[in-house]
Amino acid sequence: MFGTPQYTRDRCVTGIHGLDEILRGGVPYGSTVLIGGTCGSGKTTMCIEFLVHGAQMGEACAYFAATEPSVKLLENVRQYSFFDMEMVDKGLINVFDMDVLYSWLGLTKATFDRDDIDALVKAITDIVNTIGVTRLVIDSVTTLCYKVPNDQLIRDFLFTLGKTLATQGCTSFLVAEITSAGAKAHWSSFGVEEAILDGIMVLGDIDRMGHLLRYIQVIKMRGTDHSRAKYAVELTPMGVMLTPMLKWGVGSR
Amino acid sequence: MARKIDFDPDDVEFFGDLGSIGSPKLDKMMNGGIPRGFTILCIGEPGAGMDLFMKQFASVAEDPENTILLSTAESENEILQVYRRYKWPLDLMVRTLGEEFNEAVLEKELEASRFRLEGFSMEDIQRLAQTRFVEENTTDYLIEMANQVTQLGPFFRCAIDNLDFFFQRNEAARVISMLRVMQAHTQLNRGLLVLSVSSGTVAHSIEREISLISDIVFEFEVKQLGNSFETRMVIRKFRNSPENLRVYTYRVTPEEGITPETVDRVI
Repeated sequence: MFGTPQYTRDRCVTGIHGLDEILRGGVPYGSTVLIGGTCGSGKTTMCIEFLVHGAQMGEACAYFAATEPSVKLLENVRQYSFFDMEMVDKGLINVFDMDVLYSWLGLTKATFDRDDIDALVKAITDIVNTIGVTRLVIDSVTTLCYKVPNDQLIRDFLFTLGKTLATQGCTSFLVAEITSAGAKAHWSSFGVEEAILDGIMVLGDIDRMGHLLRYIQVIKMRGTDHSRAKYAVELTPMGVMLTPMLKWGVGSR
Repeated sequence: MARKIDFDPDDVEFFGDLGSIGSPKLDKMMNGGIPRGFTILCIGEPGAGMDLFMKQFASVAEDPENTILLSTAESENEILQVYRRYKWPLDLMVRTLGEEFNEAVLEKELEASRFRLEGFSMEDIQRLAQTRFVEENTTDYLIEMANQVTQLGPFFRCAIDNLDFFFQRNEAARVISMLRVMQAHTQLNRGLLVLSVSSGTVAHSIEREISLISDIVFEFEVKQLGNSFETRMVIRKFRNSPENLRVYTYRVTPEEGITPETVDRVI
């Protein structure tokens, strides 16, 4: 009765050591996944590695930098041995600065209205369609949502974006900045993102005997069975490595 | 203490105490012209010929390198066409701030509308992926205007057509502050500065304040009389020469441009 499912969705292999095992093969294709995490928890590194793996497979990837200038981001990720600047130069990883995109679209106001949001979704969709993007990262969607004046518009924006990207067969990671993972009842900045997206992965820190250990937890992933345990995250020059977290008695949470 | 300007005695003799307004007949009616160092404000209704008057004033250009027409509404080509039509000298400096603004700001807005309506082409996307910084148009056109005027040397001649552009984009207090700087520079350098503003563009209190800064105030009016129009220039203020306050009816001739017809009445 509860045997192996007869149908399994195609997977987008993240290439992140340990993550694909947790997700039983990878993120289901076309999913829009929220990567929530505190600062310094490894969200950006993980997302870049996700794109690099796609580029290595010959896929077109897009990274929308909203929290830091792309120049700074590229300088930072160059230290990782898994990252090769040629991928950017050859157009396999296309890095876009959100403020440049805003400027090109005339989105110079402090807050966006529905027309602005529609224009932004259309622009991202155009980019995905025109260059055939199959992996996309928006880092972070939180800074973008700060410009959206109410929860309903944020919900509409993310829903429309997720739906459009899924239609194009694009697997997307939307980064969300949160102040303290696990301490709140929700995993995103605005609380509305989590309900409408296909998956949620949370990165955070755990205090272990005075040391902050990074961890990741897959909270939700539609279309696949997955572990919901916490995994230790190690940021190495080779990339992100996930290892099962040992339960160290009382106070480990 | 104001900065002292050392005037060249030859210049003092050449330029004299009075400068032409642009029309010999008007100069004569105003007892020889405009005192050097004066700031003249023109307030006018559309169609009254104020734009032409501004060009005519600049066309005198005793020293072309020290004469400038700053236009915010017309292109350089349009201005030159008028100069050619009236056979006025073309060697003065012309700066079209409106054109500069259109190129920098409006073209960008137009491109944004195109992107929003038509989307990105592959070429646009490649360019977007290679653009790392926002090209901010940080040009402050009000400062540009003030800088341009304050760079002019002794006995300069400058026409700014018109101030509406600045009042529409800046706080009135800021524009007035810049006008004070330019007025002081004009006075100090014995220059002639003509400013124009359309009637009703600014609040009455602001118009009054600019009138106070200015030494002369001309008002350009156009009235419909039956099947024709009558254009009139009212001299509302003439510092130290109230005898010059008058209402002139003027016409535009192909030879002289704006030229007074008769003196209607004394205010």
